[in-house]
Amino acid sequence: MKIGIVTDSTSDLPEDLIEKFGVEVVPTLLIIEGKEYADGKGISRETFYAQLPGMKVFPTTAAPSLGEFSACYRHLFERGYDHILSIHAAAQLTTTVNIARQAAMDFPGQVTVVDSGSLSLGAGFQVLAAAEVAEKGLQAALEAVRWVQERLRVYAALDTMKNLRRSGRVPGAVAALGGLLSIKPVIELASGVVKALGAVRTTEQANERLSSLLRSCAPLERLAILHTGAETRARAFLKRMMEEMGRSLPRDILMLNVTPVIGTHLGANGLGFAAVQSLLAA
Amino acid sequence: MVLESPDIQKRLEKFRKAPMDGQALKRLVEAGLTWLRTNQQTVNALNVFPVPDGDTGTNMVLTMQSAYNEVSNLGHRNIGEMAAAVSQGALMGARGNSGVILSQLWRGFSRGLQGKEVLDGPSLVKAFAEARDTAYKGVVRPVEGTILTVAKDVAAAAEAGFQFTQDPIELLERVVKAADESVQRTPELLPVLKQAGVVDSGGKGLFFILEGMLRHIYGLPLDTPLVSVQPLSAMNLESAMEEVEEGQDFEVVVDFYPQGELDLQSFYGRLEEMGTSIQVGEGDGMYRMHIHVPLENRYRPIDYIMELGTITKVAMENLVAQMDEIDQRTRGDKLELANIEPGQIAVVTVSPGPGLSRIFASLGVAAIVEGGQTMNPSTQEILAAFENLPTDKVIILPNNKNIVMAANQAKEVTVKEVIVVPSRTVPQGLAAMLALDPNGELEAVAKKMNKSLTLVKSGEVTIATRSVEIDGVNVEKGQVIALLDGKLVCSAASAEEAVLCLLEKADAAQQELITLFYGEDLTITEANRIADKVREVYPRQEIEVQDGGQPHYLFIISVE
Repeated sequence: MKIGIVTDSTSDLPEDLIEKFGVEVVPTLLIIEGKEYADGKGISRETFYAQLPGMKVFPTTAAPSLGEFSACYRHLFERGYDHILSIHAAAQLTTTVNIARQAAMDFPGQVTVVDSGSLSLGAGFQVLAAAEVAEKGLQAALEAVRWVQERLRVYAALDTMKNLRRSGRVPGAVAALGGLLSIKPVIELASGVVKALGAVRTTEQANERLSSLLRSCAPLERLAILHTGAETRARAFLKRMMEEMGRSLPRDILMLNVTPVIGTHLGANGLGFAAVQSLLAA
Repeated sequence: MVLESPDIQKRLEKFRKAPMDGQALKRLVEAGLTWLRTNQQTVNALNVFPVPDGDTGTNMVLTMQSAYNEVSNLGHRNIGEMAAAVSQGALMGARGNSGVILSQLWRGFSRGLQGKEVLDGPSLVKAFAEARDTAYKGVVRPVEGTILTVAKDVAAAAEAGFQFTQDPIELLERVVKAADESVQRTPELLPVLKQAGVVDSGGKGLFFILEGMLRHIYGLPLDTPLVSVQPLSAMNLESAMEEVEEGQDFEVVVDFYPQGELDLQSFYGRLEEMGTSIQVGEGDGMYRMHIHVPLENRYRPIDYIMELGTITKVAMENLVAQMDEIDQRTRGDKLELANIEPGQIAVVTVSPGPGLSRIFASLGVAAIVEGGQTMNPSTQEILAAFENLPTDKVIILPNNKNIVMAANQAKEVTVKEVIVVPSRTVPQGLAAMLALDPNGELEAVAKKMNKSLTLVKSGEVTIATRSVEIDGVNVEKGQVIALLDGKLVCSAASAEEAVLCLLEKADAAQQELITLFYGEDLTITEANRIADKVREVYPRQEIEVQDGGQPHYLFIISVE
């Protein structure tokens, strides 16, 4: 049985891995001042994050359409795949999973849709794990996804509360945080829920919190350093963590500018990570 | 002492005949309180730092007042029971570190009298010893040259005296003498006292309480202070919020040069006919008189002093109007405090200003106790703030080093699970709030909050209440001074200068964020003007300006 793997562009998989594992990516939409950008095309992430703090109109996002999913699935079946595993961003945060499920109804018993409960490489790692074992069949792929989900930890320190508040996609308790004082929230994304772990007031303090969170996750099987237009900071953070944690970090560490579709809700200059703990830690 | 006076001898006879029971103890407590209150300003003036902070004399008076209120209507004849009630009242009313230690002295004292019907020599010796032990145990790192040392010397004097007499009154005489001498020795034990040229204020307060008891036994008056003139620099007129007594609406301060020698005895005597809160200071031949008088008496001190010499300056303030203004300001709009559910962690914080209260509320504080540098809340007030919250898990942020002990005491007297995170400044308290997870495990959360106390440097900018040299900084009364993490670092001619000096000492150029919480004495325009100056000097740092609303402190500053 030949298993095809589908995800959407909020999984943030780098181009080379998409190609290597033949993953199909359905684009999500980014709308800046009325202009639509299929995620990843038309505006570089660097440019986007440089402009984000000054944007007068808050950029909005849109999930892929039902038609796009249907077309994607049909295309794969035409190419000889027997079953499709479709892994997407957390249902609590986007409607993407629901749209995928509706599209799947046209292919009864042939498409398995999975809610990753995460975002960016938090979802991306699940896609990768599934793709790595897809040859062994659907059960193996689903087990790989569950394995990652159980050991996944996603944290971020945002530079501002502004975007998170405006996005309206976080619980009131998180959005209310700070209020008068300018603060930098430290958040956790787990099982589709954004939770505030507290807040700090400076970048230095944020880095401190993230580093202790990362240390608490060790040892790690997979790690991605995620940022929103803060590459210098991300590199410095990674360098420091490699010095401090050495062997308890995985050999291949991804670092990337998070997709603007997510980043617009987080704000620029944020730093975070998605990590999968190894069996030892769990 | 004036023991030879026949009146006193007669009175002593009477005292020796009557049993020293619970009622006698009650009268002694009242006498200690009254005498301490009479000498409150003297104790307050013994402030090491020239900053308006919780005055020791006031804190001790309020603590004693609470102790006396607890027993004023009690009919117990049993001295053990009466002492236990005094101890309970002191505990609940304890304010400031000195008040808390005083309440612990009472706790130990009452333990020494447990089960006793009347006071005798051995039980008095035991009570002073227990008082000393309990007070020492209540302080994490006891410092000598403080009220603790005086309590220790008092206990030693009682023990030593017991070889010569078993009479409680004679023992008390020895104790009062020992307390007096012990207070005089405090500068030798504690260098900061010597540097500031003062004796320890808490120790002095304890002395007045004991001396008041003895004066009561002797039948000496308790409501008139010993005639005294303080050095002008020690007069503490602007410090703290003045207490306004009913009917004493005006504060009058007169500077004058008397013609010839000033007869202090009659000077005080005449002033006492006019008003209360009398203080007289002298420096280079100039005298300063301070008094609170009712409206109709407001010109009398001036007319009277004109007869005595040349007046150089008169200042008059309407205290009632001032208090009204303060009330108005503190009322403000209602705070949106966090709604805590059973099982969650509730944070209780002490806030010195309405603006700061709003900020604390926005960070998820469940209850706020008003207070701070100049008004230290009592154990009871802190307790009342969280007793009715619907959770058993409480974290207290005192935000002031002088409130930490009262907070710890509130923890002792509640059945709730309480942890005090000992924040010593407002910026520390704010930093701790950011680490709060109301759904977390109490100890782990408190540990995290504790750790975050070190994330910020705290600055305070205020007006010097007197001239002094301390920590190598020369301060003239009235200058703007800056403290960094509780240490005096700058004196300056203006708020702006003090802020910039403070930031330099705090190494702000190496930090990211400077937050200026401006006090009630500054307008937002003035605060912003100073903030702009700070921005010029620190272009790489983020500068945030917030309305703190705190009294006396022009700025509270966090640097991180």
